[in-house]
Amino acid sequence: MFKKLIADSTAKSPWLFHINAGSCNGCDIELVSVITPRYDAERLGFKLTGTPRQADIVVVTGPVTKQTLPRVLRSISQVPEPRCIVTMGSCPQSGNVFKGSYSIAGPLSKYVHVDVAVAGCAPKPEAVIDGLALATQILKEKREKM
Amino acid sequence: MNFFDYHHFPVYSIMVLFLGAFLIVLMGKNKTVRNIIAFAAMACSVACMLALFKPVMLEGEIISYWMGNRSIAGGYAIGIALEVDALGLFFGLLISSVVFVAGLYSFQYMSHDDNQQQYYTLFLMLAGGVMGLVLSGDIFNMFIMIEILTFAAVALTAFRNQVYGALEAAFKYLVVGSIGSTCILVGITILYAQAHTLNFAQLSLLIPGNLNNATKLAFALLYIGFSTKAFLVPFHPLAADAHGAAPASVSVLISGVLTKSGIYGIIRLTYFLFQTMGLGSMQFMLVFVGCVSMFVCVTMALAQHDFKRLLAFHSISQIGYVLTAVGLCTALGISSGLYHAMNHTLFKGLLFLAAGAVLHETGTTDLGKLGGLSKKMPQTTILFLIGAFSISGVPPFNGFASKWMIYQATYQKAVESGNIGFLLVTVICLVTSILTLASFVKVSQSVFFGQLPKEYENVKEVGLGMRFAMGLLALACIVSGLFPELVTTYITEPAAAAVFNVGNYISAMGFDGSAVAAGTVSFESVGVWTPVSWLLVLCIALLAITIVALAGKYDRVSAHEGGETVDTKYQLFYGGEENVFSQVGGDDLFWGFKHNWKGYFNFMHDMHSGIVNDYALWAVVALALAIVFTQIVL
Amino acid sequence: MITTILLDALQYLGYILIFPGFLFCFLIGMLLCGIDRKLVARMQKRVGPPILQPFYDFFKLMGKETIIPAQANRTVFLVAPLFGLAALVVIQMFIPIFSFSAFSGMADIIVILYLLLIPALSAIMGAAATGSPYAGVGLSREMVVIISCELPLVMVLLAVAKTVGDALGVGLCFSLSDIAAYQAVNGSLITKLSMIPAALAFMMVIPGETGNHPFDAAEAETELCEGMLAEYSGAPLGVYKLSHAIKMLTLTSLFVALFLGGLGTGIVILDAIIMVVICVVLTAVCISLVHAITARLKIEQIFKYYWTVVSGLALISLVLAWYGL
Repeated sequence: MFKKLIADSTAKSPWLFHINAGSCNGCDIELVSVITPRYDAERLGFKLTGTPRQADIVVVTGPVTKQTLPRVLRSISQVPEPRCIVTMGSCPQSGNVFKGSYSIAGPLSKYVHVDVAVAGCAPKPEAVIDGLALATQILKEKREKM
Repeated sequence: MNFFDYHHFPVYSIMVLFLGAFLIVLMGKNKTVRNIIAFAAMACSVACMLALFKPVMLEGEIISYWMGNRSIAGGYAIGIALEVDALGLFFGLLISSVVFVAGLYSFQYMSHDDNQQQYYTLFLMLAGGVMGLVLSGDIFNMFIMIEILTFAAVALTAFRNQVYGALEAAFKYLVVGSIGSTCILVGITILYAQAHTLNFAQLSLLIPGNLNNATKLAFALLYIGFSTKAFLVPFHPLAADAHGAAPASVSVLISGVLTKSGIYGIIRLTYFLFQTMGLGSMQFMLVFVGCVSMFVCVTMALAQHDFKRLLAFHSISQIGYVLTAVGLCTALGISSGLYHAMNHTLFKGLLFLAAGAVLHETGTTDLGKLGGLSKKMPQTTILFLIGAFSISGVPPFNGFASKWMIYQATYQKAVESGNIGFLLVTVICLVTSILTLASFVKVSQSVFFGQLPKEYENVKEVGLGMRFAMGLLALACIVSGLFPELVTTYITEPAAAAVFNVGNYISAMGFDGSAVAAGTVSFESVGVWTPVSWLLVLCIALLAITIVALAGKYDRVSAHEGGETVDTKYQLFYGGEENVFSQVGGDDLFWGFKHNWKGYFNFMHDMHSGIVNDYALWAVVALALAIVFTQIVL
Repeated sequence: MITTILLDALQYLGYILIFPGFLFCFLIGMLLCGIDRKLVARMQKRVGPPILQPFYDFFKLMGKETIIPAQANRTVFLVAPLFGLAALVVIQMFIPIFSFSAFSGMADIIVILYLLLIPALSAIMGAAATGSPYAGVGLSREMVVIISCELPLVMVLLAVAKTVGDALGVGLCFSLSDIAAYQAVNGSLITKLSMIPAALAFMMVIPGETGNHPFDAAEAETELCEGMLAEYSGAPLGVYKLSHAIKMLTLTSLFVALFLGGLGTGIVILDAIIMVVICVVLTAVCISLVHAITARLKIEQIFKYYWTVVSGLALISLVLAWYGL
């Protein structure tokens, strides 16, 4: 009984930790707009936390530069299981316009398993919420397997 | 002559300590012999005091003892007398037992020092001096004992004279302590000139009815003398220096025993010798000095960056509580003040011993350099926390029980006297308590929690002997906190009743004390504090939560499994950066509070210049104020 | 004989575990927390999370992995949250629900004042045990907030003690049950002139004690990475979140017990419902409204605010109570 309750709750209470991996700030602003009154992701239980220890979903924006790569990986490793990694925007997925630059280490999927990728430059808030909602389902599955 | 008659025990308890001191000088070269002598002396002293518990505390007998059987002749007491009433026994018990614990601790703590023979000699001299002071029935003997204990304490302060500042601290103590001793001597001389006797009981009979300008002067001198012994404001800087330099076991004596002797002196002076506590102005004086000591010293402690100096200031702050409670002149006030005095001896002893353990292992007490010791010294940490919670008044430890009684006593006094000022006293007491908590949070964060500096990687837990001594005090803290009823009924209330029955004290010595009316004694308190049942509820709640938590897989944790390299998962979160040593702690932890009090703290910083001339000047100013005050109001 | 003892024991166990102990605290505390979040969202023209959101958060955290940092002291790290929670449950049992109190005669306002320190203290110890510098700064701020709240709280409690004590003719009265009994006969204390500033001051203390906006400098997630909770994850974090929720209930119900004790009916269940309703209203006013309309204060501003404005109000009340108004 408790297992099902916990799994259901996991889907309903995803807390986000946002990592900026060299982003141009466009996606970051869009992520903030997701919690504004217009889109209000908090109605789905989303909440931004300040530390990876409390997070369920890690949102990575930016093309993952060489400077940020170790920091991103360290922060992701500090998130307790079950966790979900969501890349936001085209940069962490492909490098976008920065592809081929000497300072880019991405895409992120070379280093960790990415659960959900939201495309767009920057993605629309609706798309972000859709991606995060998908991530919550993945979280629930992961929790059920634990 | 029966040597085991309990009427001899007071003199034994003093004598064995001095005898031990001399024996150690004679044949203390060998470590084992020395330790056995010291242990035996301290144990005998405690045993004698415990044996007196039944007749004096429970049956209310007042033991008077004439040295060499030279009792009253021609209406005047010529011989040397010992007189043990419940008040004296209360302090005697407290002192002998804390001396015993500090001695146990010393065996291991001092084992790396040179000149241990001298150490134990001085240690026992100090102990014997204080015991003699509290059991003496003769004011000149009190002075002699004060001299012995002052000089033993000065020498012990400078015992580790290789430590920076030890000699300076001892010198300051010597200068200001001598001023205090001189005041006492002059005061006694004046009293002798006026009353032609040195016997305490007889003085208590003769002085109160015949106050003149000379005896008022004597009062001021004696008060200042005893307050230097208790390190009350403005003599508090001495304590900080002395504690900072002295070995921890000596700090325990200075804070737990010497300051108590000062408080004892003040109680004897005001309640017995002059019987002036009925005056509102006298109550005002003691409560005012108590509150100022309490508040100034707790804020000074917040600004300290040395573990032992911080404890030293807290020591005075807690003595401020005791003096405030004693100054209320109500039965509940004195009972709670004595209770707090007892608790202060226990928890401050424990804290100083914990500081000593840290010093013993790491070689420093600087809050800015230490950190993270809880992983290396887990038991010391727990013992320290018990002491810290006790002094901050966290229920159910003993500090809470006595502080709670003090709040009630002050508030009751406010209601009874209709004086709104006493309400302020209650508020100051409560705020001081929370500031005490703050500064102990600072210590625990700076020393025991937080991050471990590289150079203390190899620190180990202290030895069993030291932990045992600390454990004894910790146990006493818990027990006396859990059973406040027992403590008050059997220990502090008889002592407080003795304070109000000066007539009995005088009669026991063979004088007619029936003229001195006994005060009304009622120990009614308004609140309810039943620590045992409270603890029971807490335990059941904790148990229930733990069971639920364990059933809910609370124990499913993942932790780093030893080894040199730490997986990034178990590193601290530094905003994604690699871990570097970064300890938050030290003296400025609560800057949010200190920022608002900038002016006050800067003023205090300037005032405590560390120059002995300044402190001597303070002593003189305090003496002048006391003289003027007593001449006006008495 | 034995059966009566067993029944008594069972009754007390019921008090501790169900009402007004653990289960009651859990349900109502979480409910208050959910209502608070919903109300803040509505005040900001958002839909807001469902009322049951704190329950979801709690159960989710129970199912998460608990990571103990390598530098942390394992025992203190894990035990501290449990102690805080237990202390809060105990306080809740001491606070009378109008005329009903589970452990009558044990509640004393000075004891309550000190018990309120234990949850904060255990949070501080737990934070210190992690060794994180963020937690270090967080606990420093938390301690300053405690110091700030203490002065007004003390004066409010003393003013209440004086007022009730005067009315009962005993001078002063520290027993919460007596305060409740007095109010049950003579009407709520808030109707007295001297108690109005005290009630206001107490309402201002509530968000500070619970660590809510704008007094949440200790857990500022944007600057301190959750401050004291920076290294907590999984079940211990859940226990902290639960403690925070129960603390809201504790303080609001303490307000009810101190100032609104005259509203009781004598029927326990009805009384409990009335109390919960008042607690919800108080939460809405003191926590949600303040949260929605203010920005976070700096730590020295918090201290200044409490020791001037709020303490001033409490002092006025204390002086008025002294002169029997």
